[in-house]
Amino acid sequence: MNIRIRRFRLESFFALGALTILCIIFSIFARGFNQWATALNIFASSYAIGFLAIGVTFVIITGGIDLSIGTVMMSSALIGGFLYQNGEGLPLWICLIIIVLIGTAFGTLNGLMVTKLELPPFIATLGTMMVAAGLGSIITSVQSQRFPAPIGDSWFTRTFFRIDNFPVGAIWLFSFLIIALIVLNKTKLGRYTFAIGSNEEAVRLSGVKASNWKCIAYVISGFCAGFGAIFHAAAVTTIVPNTGQGTELQAIAAVVIGGTSLKGGSGSLTGTIIGVFFMSVLRIGLQGMGINAASQVFFTGIVVIGAVLFDIQRTKRANQVRKVKPVVQKEK
Amino acid sequence: MKKFIAILLVILLATAFLVACNDEPVVEDPPTVEEPEVIDEPEVIDEPEVIDEPTEVEEPNDDVDVSYVAVISKGFQHQFWQAVYAGARAAGETYGVAVSFDGPPSEADIGPQLEMLRSALARNPDAIAFAALDTEAALAELADAYNRGIPVIGFDSGIPDAPAGQVLATAATDNIAAGAVGADNMFPEIQDAIAAATEDAPVTIAILSQDATSESVTGRTQGFAERMYQLAGGVNDSVAIVGGLGRINTGDTDAAVIIDVTVGATPEIADMTSAALGVLNTPNLLGVFCSNEGAVMGLLATIGAGTNVPDGVILVGFDAGSAQKEAVETGLMFGSVTQDPFQIGYQAVSLAVRAARGEAVHDVDTGAQWWNSSNMHNPDIAILLYD
Amino acid sequence: MGDIRNSPYILEMVDIDKRFQGVHALNNCSINLKAGEVLALMGENGAGKSTMVKVLTGIYKADSGDILYFGKKVVFKTPKAAQIAGISIVHQELNLMNHLTVAQNIFIGREGKGFFLDEKSIVRKSAELFERLGVFIDPNEYVKNLTVGKQQIVEIAKAISFDSKVIVFDEPTATLTDTEIDVLFDIINELKSKGVGIIYISHRLDEIKRITDRVTVLRDGELVGTKNTAELEIHDVIHMMIGRVTYEPPKQTSSVPEDAPVVLEVENLNSKDVHDVSFKLHKGEILGFAGLMGAGRTEVARLIFGADKRTRGNIIIDGKAANIRSPHDAVKRGIGYLSEDRKRFGLAVDMSISNNMILASLNDYTSVGFINENKIATTSNEYVDKIDVRTPSISQIVKNLSGGNQQKVVIAKWLIRNCDILIFDEPTRGIDVGAKSEIYKLMNALAENGKSIIMISSELPELLRMSDRILVMCEGSHTGTLPIEEADQHSIMTLATLNSSINHTEEEIKQ
Repeated sequence: MNIRIRRFRLESFFALGALTILCIIFSIFARGFNQWATALNIFASSYAIGFLAIGVTFVIITGGIDLSIGTVMMSSALIGGFLYQNGEGLPLWICLIIIVLIGTAFGTLNGLMVTKLELPPFIATLGTMMVAAGLGSIITSVQSQRFPAPIGDSWFTRTFFRIDNFPVGAIWLFSFLIIALIVLNKTKLGRYTFAIGSNEEAVRLSGVKASNWKCIAYVISGFCAGFGAIFHAAAVTTIVPNTGQGTELQAIAAVVIGGTSLKGGSGSLTGTIIGVFFMSVLRIGLQGMGINAASQVFFTGIVVIGAVLFDIQRTKRANQVRKVKPVVQKEK
Repeated sequence: MKKFIAILLVILLATAFLVACNDEPVVEDPPTVEEPEVIDEPEVIDEPEVIDEPTEVEEPNDDVDVSYVAVISKGFQHQFWQAVYAGARAAGETYGVAVSFDGPPSEADIGPQLEMLRSALARNPDAIAFAALDTEAALAELADAYNRGIPVIGFDSGIPDAPAGQVLATAATDNIAAGAVGADNMFPEIQDAIAAATEDAPVTIAILSQDATSESVTGRTQGFAERMYQLAGGVNDSVAIVGGLGRINTGDTDAAVIIDVTVGATPEIADMTSAALGVLNTPNLLGVFCSNEGAVMGLLATIGAGTNVPDGVILVGFDAGSAQKEAVETGLMFGSVTQDPFQIGYQAVSLAVRAARGEAVHDVDTGAQWWNSSNMHNPDIAILLYD
Repeated sequence: MGDIRNSPYILEMVDIDKRFQGVHALNNCSINLKAGEVLALMGENGAGKSTMVKVLTGIYKADSGDILYFGKKVVFKTPKAAQIAGISIVHQELNLMNHLTVAQNIFIGREGKGFFLDEKSIVRKSAELFERLGVFIDPNEYVKNLTVGKQQIVEIAKAISFDSKVIVFDEPTATLTDTEIDVLFDIINELKSKGVGIIYISHRLDEIKRITDRVTVLRDGELVGTKNTAELEIHDVIHMMIGRVTYEPPKQTSSVPEDAPVVLEVENLNSKDVHDVSFKLHKGEILGFAGLMGAGRTEVARLIFGADKRTRGNIIIDGKAANIRSPHDAVKRGIGYLSEDRKRFGLAVDMSISNNMILASLNDYTSVGFINENKIATTSNEYVDKIDVRTPSISQIVKNLSGGNQQKVVIAKWLIRNCDILIFDEPTRGIDVGAKSEIYKLMNALAENGKSIIMISSELPELLRMSDRILVMCEGSHTGTLPIEEADQHSIMTLATLNSSINHTEEEIKQ
């Protein structure tokens, strides 16, 4: 594990360096970038995507993909908001728990489809993506749902979004990240996640219930989507039916920028979170330079391609070394 | 190291692009934007204020240096918003202020719009013109602007239900009135058929709506439905409003004249197209009112894909756009109602500049006009019809 | 050979030296080749044969030494350059595109000028090539429809289409039937007669005698010597190849007592490929599984291990019926399975040695859900020492290890899990001689310590040397079990071809 960890630290260092350079460039060229308000804005834009990206990192390391997280997040928030508004005085905190449970339920559905029914993850989660979007719309009769607005002293806002000018959500996100880091790097679940991504059949033939552990990765992804939904609701207040498509791709893009391989078997959560912030900073910085939405999407695309090129270069280099080494060993 | 170089490359590319784009909207005053419309402006009826403005009659705070207005719209890519953008730029030129214009990719993107609003606030503009996708989501930012003394002007659909005093004025079309214009013009064509309808042989007037939440779209839908309800009620006793916009329904689905509101599953064009297909297949259809350009595009896409419009069905649209203009010109559509997007943008910035100077500002109705194949080339109408 | 000047050789590789990170892969090796001769290049795995060929064709660059081609010093930068100059390789793994036709495969990358394809001309040229080889293959046939033997002929045709002067055959007969081998040898003789020089890499000693003119043997990256085939006996070649390593003779008697307890009993095991297999495995015993390819030995192992679903049959462990439905169940009952394909089924090759070693026993290395890395390191180091895994560190990625060391990691995985029943499926496949005998020693030690072992192998000498009893299978059925005292190559092969269905399949072949 030592080598792996060392390699990823290096990677994270590069990603972090790139993020820093980006910030420096924007602080010179973008109007109003060097302000606490901008930092708050960047945080606010990163919460929901951050949780989604952390969750989907687990799935991607197993060699799978979860396309449903975007709509699952919106759908959970939508249904939670519906209960909050139409639930006969159902307290908000119960609605929040339900939101997380709905996300987890969708994640479990994905996991079972992938492991028990042996559907390809792409197809299974693509289906769930649509099912979740549709379910949210059906339950709410295609009506937007509202959460307490981010103003005044609503405990909802103060707990999950911000207290005055302090980004409470960031505390949650980073605490969550630390827990996820521990799970991924220090527990059996994390070890099996990497092992399954590296060679699932070998894991199964080692007597490990590989499919159960893989299923758990999808459950985590769904759980994170549900958790992210709370923060999305706190930051945006109004949840519109039939949205969320595309959010999963942003989260996946962040994971890729963070250096996790879509082939599975390797990945890093610190990289993922840096990827999330990289994308928010890029978007908000470009706005500060007066560049419109279309170009923002354009640049995000460039960064994703750049990051993947990166990954390929790294793998190539690593493989060049590998070709040589076995011979050394063989010849003693 | 290649990695590092790659990142550097991306960043370099980004900066190069930024520097290239940079000077246009924000930093400098717009240098060479050609806006012949502005010159024609005085002919347009609805806005006496603007014409007077350049002479600056009131000038109570001329010493206040207004240099930068941030405009946050509800969209960007759509032709309508590009026309608003053109109006905003023209006003910026008139007043000698820099104008930035941001809008989210789609009208469901409340989060991204909030991000743009926050980002605009961080730039310390002298005033903000804002068309809210969702007022409640933006309450904190509105309060922030208010506390910092940055005047906020609403435009287009405005900032409905904003806390008192936080939005100084709105430049917008009166959507209910605009929708009624559509009903007024459609009704004479279908009056006889409405009068002849019975509960055993009912007729339907359909409304195709892209959205059940946006104030502007639902306002027009409501304006059309209620005016049509009123007009039809004059010639037939049994009229009902039914369908996807619950709050205006009158409930009686067995009526002789049914005004049926269809809302697309999502605002996406594909969903509008399938909604339009359903509308065109309604039995005994007399007319269809599309409450924005998106709905018109859905309808035209359906027709373009081979669905026939039953004989005698009157198609009435809203807004403009090249496809709709062609459909009206060829007679496929009976006519349409237009707002004045250029005026919306122009008035929004103009209100913002004056508010920033400390002048008193009031709501401006940017107007709605009926247009059809016979008047669409008149100069005063043509100017309102963006491509 | 170095003193021959203006020699008859068309190709000379002189004093080739190649190091990988300081380790000698080739230490001053020289070979030479005449026009119209077949030179056998022999040696155990890792002796340096492939490295030599890779240096010749430009995949590796030699650290020192010269390549003389028709007397001129050459350095090929890429295999393509070597091919154009007239040096081609027919690889053991065929590099053909199944969904293209024979002609399209032969002329891939050389379709001619212009944007549009001239299919007719490549078909005609392909037909000419086959004519030269004296075989008929339809150039318009899709490669996927050809037998392996014919696919190989396509590769050869591709090689001679470059007008090759030197063709290297890398274990060409490994996957061929006897008839196909005859055709191949006819072709080689044909090429010989046309003056093509051939380097022939093979492990099959009988073939060497049959087809080659001279033999060059490498061992551990060094040249052992070159002899005329006619002057050599097979045991000479073996001696040259093996050098210091001595093969142990077959086991004479079993040391497992008659009344040793039965640890595993299999009753009427059935599946699609396995028919009514029953046997008993005693404590401390090595039970060999012999049979031809496709006899169902691996299938039996996978059924016992729960990797595949059995349709019928009982598995009894230590006298108790074991309801094994998944590898998880099998491992819980103390069965470990070492697959014949380590990389696919045995190892997470991108992970470290220590992570692979504890993969089956991670539960024992967690406390309150957290992984105890120190405990893992201690155990891993212990086993690296114990079974002599050659690696700089336990955090080495398994992909970087040699086959023998990878196999040891898999063995360690099951030892750490403390399995009592170990199923070794082709444990020495792809492993060099030295490592092989270490694996044998390890297996013997395990049996002595009371572990019970099923050993599946296609190498009869290996089975005869290791097993206490040999169970023989044919076509999915158990055809007999031989105590080691009665087992020899002849008796095993008789049982391995005993099944009546064999005749049936032969008839099918005739059709």
